[in-house]
Order: sequence, then C-alpha cells, then structure tokens
Amino acid sequence: MRVHLTRRVALLAAVTGVLGHAVQAAPEPAAPVKAPPEAAASASAAASAPVSLSARKVYEQARSQLVQIRTVLKGQASQTSVGSGFFVTREGHLITNFHVVSEAALKPARHELVLVTADGREAPVHILMLDVLHDLALLKVQDAKPVAYDALGFRPEAQKLAQGERMYSLGNPLDVGFAVIEGNYNGLVERSFYPQIFFAGSLSGGMSGGPALDQEGRVIGVNVARRVDGEQVSFLVPAAFASALLARGRDAPPLKGEAWPIVTSQLMAHQEALTERFIAQGWKPATHPRYTVPVPRDLFMRCWGSSEPSRTGGLDFERSDCVMDTRIFVGDFNTGTLATRHEAYDGNKLGTLRFATQYSASFRNEGFARLGPQHQTKPQCHEDYVDRQGLVLRAVVCLRAYKKLPQLYDVSVLVATLDQPQAGVQGRFDAQGVSYPNAMKLARHYLEAYAWVK
Amino acid sequence: MGEVKPTLAVIEVIDRDGSVRHSLSVRQWPLRVGRALSNDLVLDDAHTAAHHFSIAPTDDGQVLLTVGDSINGVQADGQPLAAGARWVVPAGPAGRPPTLVAGRTTMRLRLPEHLLPPEQRFTAARVLTQDLPTLAALVLATALVLGFGVWLENDPELFPKVLGTSAISMLGFGLGWAGLWTLLSKVFTRQGHFGWHLRVMLVAVLAWQVVTAGTALLAFAFSWPWLTDFNFVPGYALLGAMLYFHLQAVEPHHPLRTRSLAVASVIVGTALSLWFNLQGTDRTGSELYMNHLFPPSLRVARPVDTESFMTGVAELQPVLDTKAKKDAND
Repeated sequence: MRVHLTRRVALLAAVTGVLGHAVQAAPEPAAPVKAPPEAAASASAAASAPVSLSARKVYEQARSQLVQIRTVLKGQASQTSVGSGFFVTREGHLITNFHVVSEAALKPARHELVLVTADGREAPVHILMLDVLHDLALLKVQDAKPVAYDALGFRPEAQKLAQGERMYSLGNPLDVGFAVIEGNYNGLVERSFYPQIFFAGSLSGGMSGGPALDQEGRVIGVNVARRVDGEQVSFLVPAAFASALLARGRDAPPLKGEAWPIVTSQLMAHQEALTERFIAQGWKPATHPRYTVPVPRDLFMRCWGSSEPSRTGGLDFERSDCVMDTRIFVGDFNTGTLATRHEAYDGNKLGTLRFATQYSASFRNEGFARLGPQHQTKPQCHEDYVDRQGLVLRAVVCLRAYKKLPQLYDVSVLVATLDQPQAGVQGRFDAQGVSYPNAMKLARHYLEAYAWVK
Repeated sequence: MGEVKPTLAVIEVIDRDGSVRHSLSVRQWPLRVGRALSNDLVLDDAHTAAHHFSIAPTDDGQVLLTVGDSINGVQADGQPLAAGARWVVPAGPAGRPPTLVAGRTTMRLRLPEHLLPPEQRFTAARVLTQDLPTLAALVLATALVLGFGVWLENDPELFPKVLGTSAISMLGFGLGWAGLWTLLSKVFTRQGHFGWHLRVMLVAVLAWQVVTAGTALLAFAFSWPWLTDFNFVPGYALLGAMLYFHLQAVEPHHPLRTRSLAVASVIVGTALSLWFNLQGTDRTGSELYMNHLFPPSLRVARPVDTESFMTGVAELQPVLDTKAKKDAND
C-alpha cells in the first residue's frame, strides 16, 4: 500500500517535476528557487492560520460531490495510483485529471477505475472523453442511476476572481483521507502556454483531479500540479476547460481500447498551435555582439542566462537556456515542449589550437537519449556546413520518431559557428512531439536566425 | 679408457622454443632411443616405448631408422612411421638433418654427410641495445605527441599539474604493457625482447595518433562524417598489427599461426563493434554526427544553403517512419 502511495506521489511529481525542470535547467538552481517574498509570507500565513468557518462550510457542502479515483490492477484488486475527482452532473459525470486516469486510458487491458466516496462507498467508473492538453478527463459512473448524484457547479467565467481571494482545494492527499486545503487565488501563471491558475496553497500527491472552490462552493479550477522546489506554489486547470469538456463529452460513449489515437490527435493540434505561436513570436534582438543568435521572446518561455569566466585561464563562456513551463503529460513521458540554448565562447586566452579542441569537446557533448527505446526510435541525423549570408555554420539536425504517437517526432538542431579561430557560438534547439513538416519548419526557422549582426 | 672413437653422428633433443636441450655424440652404431635404461639415448617421455626406435647403417652405406614396438610410432620429417617401419635417413651434401618426433619429444639427427651451413654474422635480434637511437627517437616522438595532446585538452593553468599525472600514468601503462609482453617472451623464448616490445608499442601509439588526428582533420575539411564514424576499423587494424608484431617475439616459429590470430582478431573486433553499434544506435558507425571542429581556415568543403540542407533533413523521414512502424508492430 505504501508503495502505491509513493507511486502516486511520483506520478504527481512527474507533472510537477516538469515545471521544476524549467528551473533546474538554469545553471544555478538556487537562485530561481527562491519564492518571491510576498508570496512566501502570505503562503506561510495561510498554512498556519486555523481553518476558518467558511472552509468547514465549503467542505460540508462539497463532501458528497467529492470522490477519490483509484486505478486498480485488473484481477489483482490492488491500486496502482490514486487521485481525486468530483461530480459535475446529477447523471454521474465526473471531472478529474488525465494523469489520474492515464494508466486506465493507455493500458486498459490491465487497469480499471473505481471511485470511492467520502463515506466509503465504491463504484466502477469509465472514461468518456480526454483533454490531454489541459490534463483533464471526463468520467461517468458505470450503470449510473438517473439523477442520483450531487453535483458541483462551475463558477461563471465572467465572474473574475481578485488576487488574494480565499479559495479551497479539496481532495484526498496521499490516500490519507479527504481534506480541504485553504489558499489564495493568485491569478494566472505567467508565461504558461495554456492558462493555469496559480494557487497559493499546499497541494499534495493524490489531490490531483480534485476541485478548487470559491467561498460559495463553486468550482474555480481542478488541482493539477505543484512546484516541488517552492512552497505553496500550486497549479489549477481553470474550470472553463472542465466545463467545455463536459459540454463536449456529456453524451459520448465510454472510451474503447487504448487512448493512444486520441492522445496523438490532440498532440497534433497542440504542436500545430505551438509551432505557429513560436514562429510568430520571433526572436529577441541583440543577443550577441557579433551574431544574431536565436533567443526566443519570453511569451510562453523562460530564459535563464549565466556568465562563466574560466577560473583556470581557459574558455570563458556565457550561456542562455530557454524552456517552456508547459509540457504535455502522456503516460510514461512528457512531450509537446520547445527549448533553445546557446553558449557563446571566448577562447582568446587559449589560442587557436586549444580553442578548437575545447570547442569540439563542447560540440561533441550533446545527447539525444531523452526517452527510452520503448517510446522512440534511435536518432537519425543530417549534417553539413550551412551558409548563412556569409556566416558558415556546422549544422546537425537529429530526429527521433515516437512509436506510440505516429507521425510525431522530436527534433534537435545543433549549430556551431565557424568563422573565428578563437571564438564562436554553439546553439541547440529542441522541439518535442512535432509533425515532420513542423519539425522542418522549426529547424529552418532556427537555422535561419543565425547571421552576422549587420 | 681406450682411444676416443670418431663421432659418427650427433642426435639432439630439441626444446619447444627451438633450442637444443640435450646433445649426444654417436660413436658406435646402432643408436638406440627409448625409455629403457639399455638405450643410448634415454627419454623421459611417457608417450614413448621402452625401445622406441634405433638407427644403424646398412651394408650399402645408407643410414636406416627402424621403429621399435611403439604404439605412437615416429614422425620422421613430418612422415608418420608405424611400429616396425623402416626409413632411410636422407644424407648426402643436399640433405638436411631430419627432425624425428617420438611421443612429445622432438629430436634432430646430424650426420657428417649433411651440408654444414656457413657461419652467420652475429646480430643481436630484438634486444634493447639494438638500434638504440631509433628507439630513443620513438620514445621522444611519443612523449611529444602525447604531451601535445595533454596540452591541447587542458586549460593553461591546469596544464603543468595534469602533465605530471598524465606522464606518470602513461609511463606506468607503457612499462606495464611492454613488461607484460616481455614476460610472455621470456616464458616462451627464454629471451625478454623488451626493446622489441617497446618499439612495437610506441609505433602503434604514434600510428593511432596519426590515424585519429588525420581522419578528424579530413572529416572536418571535406565534411566527411563517415571517415571518423568508422575510426574503429583502422583502430582494430592497428591493434591486430600490434598483436602480430608482439607475438613475433613470443612465438617466432609459427608465423602463420600468429598472422592468422592477428587477422582473426581484426575481423572479430570489427564485426563485434559493428554489431554493438547496430544494437545501441541502429547505425553501423560509432559517431552520431561529426564533432571534430578545427580552426575555420582548414575547412575546404563548401557550405550549402538552408534550402538544400533541409532537403537532406526531409530524406530522414522515411527511415524514421519505417523504424517506428517496425518497432510499434513488434
């Protein structure tokens, strides 16, 4: 039992780990980990404050609509993961996270779903529809009795919440028992590709898929993730996506077979939007004194830079890492994200030959083994010298195809400038889960951003 | 003691390294060889008979070998002779002393009629002192090349320290390697041949440096990624050649055997590497992309425009799709 709990924690951490990763990718993780002082103060105040009367009221109201969703191994009756969920119609429709039901959706031969109510009753449920991009799933009680369930209502989108407004997140953390967690609404997460609510409250593994309610008990969002490197930095999927999913899938038949085709088609739409927005946003100006080095604008990406002069009289370099917070969870792995990176090297203390050796070593030191061979093919690469308006680059483009997501690929572009004997820039661009035409489009977009500054 | 009779023949017992272990002057016929104490040459070999063979001249002056009551018989110059067989020892000026094998013992019979080869000039083969200047030059060249490598790869302020530790480890490895082969030589030939082994090792190290640097430079200059992709092929060839020359000082009497071993090791090594690469990366080569960057002025290949570069990228799709589909169906 304990093992399964840790599994669930690990699964939620997988989603949160993604977000944490954005920070870890920066060379000094200590700095960005620090929470803004205001947020930390309010968060610790919220944590230490006694549960208010309204929290009790909210929980009492929502208790009968709140459930735990268990993924159970078929024929063994032991749970492989647990999450939370809530009733949204009187006919027995439920909303939870996709990642709570991903095992049942992607490996239905071995897993099934069971809901457990706050008073301990169990009932089998099936999946009606998935929204992989927003990490939502619409479920329904199997053999549901008509009009027999209490349902939570959604807060109308027109009624905006003010920052700092009290809200309550419900769920069953770590399978310990149903709980209400008080916190604050802090607006939408900045630079997120899809809107997510920044909830200053403590979410734990097992609460995924549970509702976050306002003071009147209406659903504002769905618990989805938290930052493991911060305190009380948690994320909710806005309720609008859940109500849209309900509207789309209310009368849908239960999902049959593995959900890979659904996941693939939603990822197709995602990469189309992602590619379009990425190319439309363009590059930052003045990223290097000599070259136009492609660094994306931070509309939905975050760039961390660092400068590292050599302590041993060697290569001085500056680097920049740009990553997206948003990643799409698809079962055993994440995809659907973009990243760029570059390092500007200055080797005037080294001389030409030593610089070339270290520049080579840095170019060599690139990996493409993100996912195991069960998920992706081995990389295939194309390489050559590329002329960018007189600036010569060594360019390598490597692609890997997904095995379960047909016609989706990871593409990586490596670039090294080759015009100076003792200095240069090496860049890398990565796009995960893109179609071949978009992989080509993005690779070309990245390559063509390199040139000399005019 | 009567007068000393003239020597009619000499029979020598040969060791497995070709040197004479025991020599017996024959002063009267017949010469009897076997395990029994009544023989002229008493063998200590469990695979020989009590009276294994005897040699005596016939009336017409030929020297005749007669095999005794032995189950293993005698091999006379490679020709098998069973119990009771007779064999005329080739004599005359053109004849060479025949090799006789009884059980596990190898012998050679020398007759006065055999042509005596002329005296050979003494050259100390494969000893340290042989051609010392060349060896010294090799040591110096290797030290310079390896030192240059350390200089290239390390930051200026780290270089002196790293040079010291690298020199110690290289020296240790070099002496260990040459020492191990010397030990083998000593065991099998009773001579160390340290100088020879050192020379083989140094030449191999220098050749490998030339191969890696040369292929990397060519790959960069002409944009030939395949050249360094298959660097392990010349690597194994060099290793095979090295093995062959080392073995020459360990098993000098079986050149065919050592040559086959060297060739086989090259083939097996290359095949294993290809197989290993295929398993690990789906490619036969060992480098996913060419990663040897030299100063820009050494580039000869012309850069292509983005358009034609992307055409090359497009060509990867069918390969990827085939592999993805094949694996998804597995």
